Amino acid sequence: MPISWSTATSTCSTPRWPASCPGRCRRSVSSCSTRHTTSITSALRLSVSASASRRWKALNETCGASRKRLIGRFKATDANRLRAEYNRLVDGLAQRGNLPISDAWLANPALPDDILKEAVPGNIRRAEHFLAVLRRLVRFLDGRLETETVENEMPVSFVASIHSQAGIDQKMLRFCYDRLHSLMLTLEITDTDEFMHIQTICDFATLIGTYTRGFSIITEPYDERMPDIRDPVIQLSCHDASLAIQPVFDRFQTVVITSGTLSPIDLYPRLLNFNPVISRSFTMSLTRDCICPMVLTRGSDQLPVSTKFDMRSDPGVVRNYGRLLLEMSSAVPDGIVCFFVSYSYMDGIVNSWNEMGILQDIMQHKLVFIETPDVVETTLALDNYRKACDCGRGAIFFSVARGKVAEGIDFDRHYGRLVIMFGVPFQYTLSRILLARLEYLRETFQIKEGDFLTFDALRQAAQCVGRVIRSKADYGMMIFADKRYSRHDKRSKLPGWILSHLHDAHLNLSTDMALHIAREFLRRMAQPYDKMGSGGNKTLLTEEDLQNMAQDAMEM
Amino acid sequence: MYGGGGGGGGFNAPSTASGRRRNQEDEEEEEEEAGEGRVLEAWERAYADDRSWEALQEDDSGLLRPIDTKTLVHAQYRRRLLLRSAATAAARIQKGLIRYLYIVIDLSRAASEMDYRPSRMAVVAKHAEAFIREFFDQNPLSHVGIVTIKDGICHRLTEIGGSPESQIKALMGKLECSGDSSLQNALELVHGYLDQVPSYGHKEILILYSALNTCDPGDIMETIEKCKKSKIRCSIIGLAAEIFICKHICEETGGSYTIALDESHFKELLLEHAPPSPAIAEYAAANLIKMGFPQRGAEDLISICSCHKKIKSGAEGYICPRCKVNVCELPTECRTCGLTLVSSPHLARSYHHLFPVQPFDEVSSIYPNKLGQKGGQKCYGCQQSFINPDSQSSLHVRCPKCNQHFCLDCDIYIHESLHNCPGCESQRSSSS
Repeated sequence: MPISWSTATSTCSTPRWPASCPGRCRRSVSSCSTRHTTSITSALRLSVSASASRRWKALNETCGASRKRLIGRFKATDANRLRAEYNRLVDGLAQRGNLPISDAWLANPALPDDILKEAVPGNIRRAEHFLAVLRRLVRFLDGRLETETVENEMPVSFVASIHSQAGIDQKMLRFCYDRLHSLMLTLEITDTDEFMHIQTICDFATLIGTYTRGFSIITEPYDERMPDIRDPVIQLSCHDASLAIQPVFDRFQTVVITSGTLSPIDLYPRLLNFNPVISRSFTMSLTRDCICPMVLTRGSDQLPVSTKFDMRSDPGVVRNYGRLLLEMSSAVPDGIVCFFVSYSYMDGIVNSWNEMGILQDIMQHKLVFIETPDVVETTLALDNYRKACDCGRGAIFFSVARGKVAEGIDFDRHYGRLVIMFGVPFQYTLSRILLARLEYLRETFQIKEGDFLTFDALRQAAQCVGRVIRSKADYGMMIFADKRYSRHDKRSKLPGWILSHLHDAHLNLSTDMALHIAREFLRRMAQPYDKMGSGGNKTLLTEEDLQNMAQDAMEM
Repeated sequence: MYGGGGGGGGFNAPSTASGRRRNQEDEEEEEEEAGEGRVLEAWERAYADDRSWEALQEDDSGLLRPIDTKTLVHAQYRRRLLLRSAATAAARIQKGLIRYLYIVIDLSRAASEMDYRPSRMAVVAKHAEAFIREFFDQNPLSHVGIVTIKDGICHRLTEIGGSPESQIKALMGKLECSGDSSLQNALELVHGYLDQVPSYGHKEILILYSALNTCDPGDIMETIEKCKKSKIRCSIIGLAAEIFICKHICEETGGSYTIALDESHFKELLLEHAPPSPAIAEYAAANLIKMGFPQRGAEDLISICSCHKKIKSGAEGYICPRCKVNVCELPTECRTCGLTLVSSPHLARSYHHLFPVQPFDEVSSIYPNKLGQKGGQKCYGCQQSFINPDSQSSLHVRCPKCNQHFCLDCDIYIHESLHNCPGCESQRSSSS
């Protein structure tokens, strides 16, 4: 029975998980296996970088202690329940009543089948023993955090050192996640927040116990932005997107991967490690030209603009970017979304605009909202942004490529009439994680670093600008504001639906030309049009049309 | 604008395309000669205003097409006509003939933008003037007032009234722009004024909006709700781009929201608001309205008019039939007793909106009707022959009721100015 497994139906949608590459791998794994890789990297980083490692340790110990008390209490009253659990663990995880085998892949796609069938090893079946193992593990990790040098290890060597120093072997590590889960269920613990940190540790343990390749463990004693303050972080980073999608390929006979940002399409089979039966790139069928991509290479003074490292702090470039936004805010109604390459760059440029007085001028036309790393603050800002668009005041949202907003928030209809991508969103190339990933990709899939970086940056850019158009009745403009976009090797990596609307005349614009085009475009789009499309360019099909098409195909 | 039927001269004479062009140029020159007394050389003319180069068209091979403005204009006109008649296809649509319209003109910062020449504000004012004249021409029983938005605050420039001249004068004197604009303030103000209008009047707001945002003191949604409740129909013409809140206002209150592409398109959109729109059924309960038909005062009667408080002889004004007070202009409301005063031609001029002439069918047969039907070879209106010198029949139209044929000029004249079909009218008189 062929089952089509599609993430989305339309061609301009974005992948939710399997159709991804290492850039999104952590996300994708997290969405399929609830709390696995992402929680490892982000939660560990959060908890450790927010508080000193000592407090983190204390936190874990209190967790452990409180549970120990709990177990003691339960033992007195409910010894039977622990006994029943013990029996279950002997039988193997798969026999658990609440986890039918057919859905196992959904709950645990990142874990191979054998782990589900095997029985939990004897030395962690009893709750006390398991707790002791966990304590040893936490102590070991704590010791690793004391280090003064940056370390990059493969899981194999990391597991070996755990084995030698803490006496925990790979098999025990592998079962940590399930053992903890089972224990929590048995004890009927409801306030899971308190145990979040120990869960993170268990997830981490299970992943390094399961996979010997495709991951690396990076220990950094200092944050790169603040090299003076000690802020140790252990990160488990996944380099191989094919691990995440493998369970899907195993389970289903037919898998369809659709996305609006699968470009260049030939790179994906290599990254996800499969052979596509058919790979096809479609253009969008539109009733009218409702998207208007532009490449802006020069500012209003005709000097080139770019976020290249040697140019980004040039006051001329900063001013040109500011002028561009100011002019656009006076010509575009309702919402404008701006994407910057990083938080630090956004902070810098907004500061400079404020000092130059450009920001004040912009605020006369529209309200300005800014995304921050804080989720609550960002949600609030988004809410108010929407309100400002609704009531006609107009608003601008400053956001960061690869941020939460760029990945998951839609700016359709009047919430986003224009999106400006300031610069090319390359990844931070000095990041240890990225370097490790690039090395892995080069060795395993023979993908060149430069190719991957460009591909990844352009895919992010397409992802960002694609936020503004979510349906055929919608319309929106996209400005790529960097001179590097006019180069063919960059541009050609954009998805087909953008390229097909990118006219040659729009490839090398300055601010005033872009402004003129924007005005014309907005006027044209505001005219009433035939929504159904007439004659040749019919884009909304009724059931009848589909039947006719099917008949035609049969006759042919 | 289209004088009689005599304008067909340049239409059927030339044989070739180039000949036709030359002929048209001749015509233009003749017109200018008439206007200024001498022929302007090509380099002396002011091309900046009419932008004639934008009308140039290329054919498939990249050659310039001869500009055939006449058929172009006619095709455009036909499209409009058919559109309008399609909207009123349901035979008996009630139309609001007594309209109370406030024109809201946005004079905020954005109105000084130069994308329309010389500025948005000047263009808006120029066409608003034309619109007011046209409006009173088509709706003699209606009233207009002007409101401007400036620095976020609204001012009532003129009280709602029935005379075009005073409105235009007030508008032209107040042309400067600054500050933000606020839709909510405008709606609130106009809502306050229109609330006092008698129930039979159709309350309308037409906003000519240059800005792309609105800085409101409160929640605009409440104001929209209020307007909706008072049955005020808001229409907006935008000069730059589509704004969500404007669309929302128009959708909620049943108005139309259009965006102008350029100056001529703006004019077109504005004039679309001149003919009365179909009344919304639930709003317009059929009721009787008291009206007075005042007589012109006697020659020797000297009295003080109620509108200007000046001594006038009776022949300059009209006498209200109920309270016998002197008023200067019609239509108006009597200052003393509040009776609506109109003259019968005003009513008659509104009549054609209810019973428009049907759009004529296009006939483009190369062989004229062989049955020798009367008027088959000639325009029934102006008696011009449809046969060109090279014996080709040109495009013409036919009335579906009386089957008379008309040339294109007469077609426009009948539908735009005459509002009666000469063929049908003469049939009726001969049969009765």
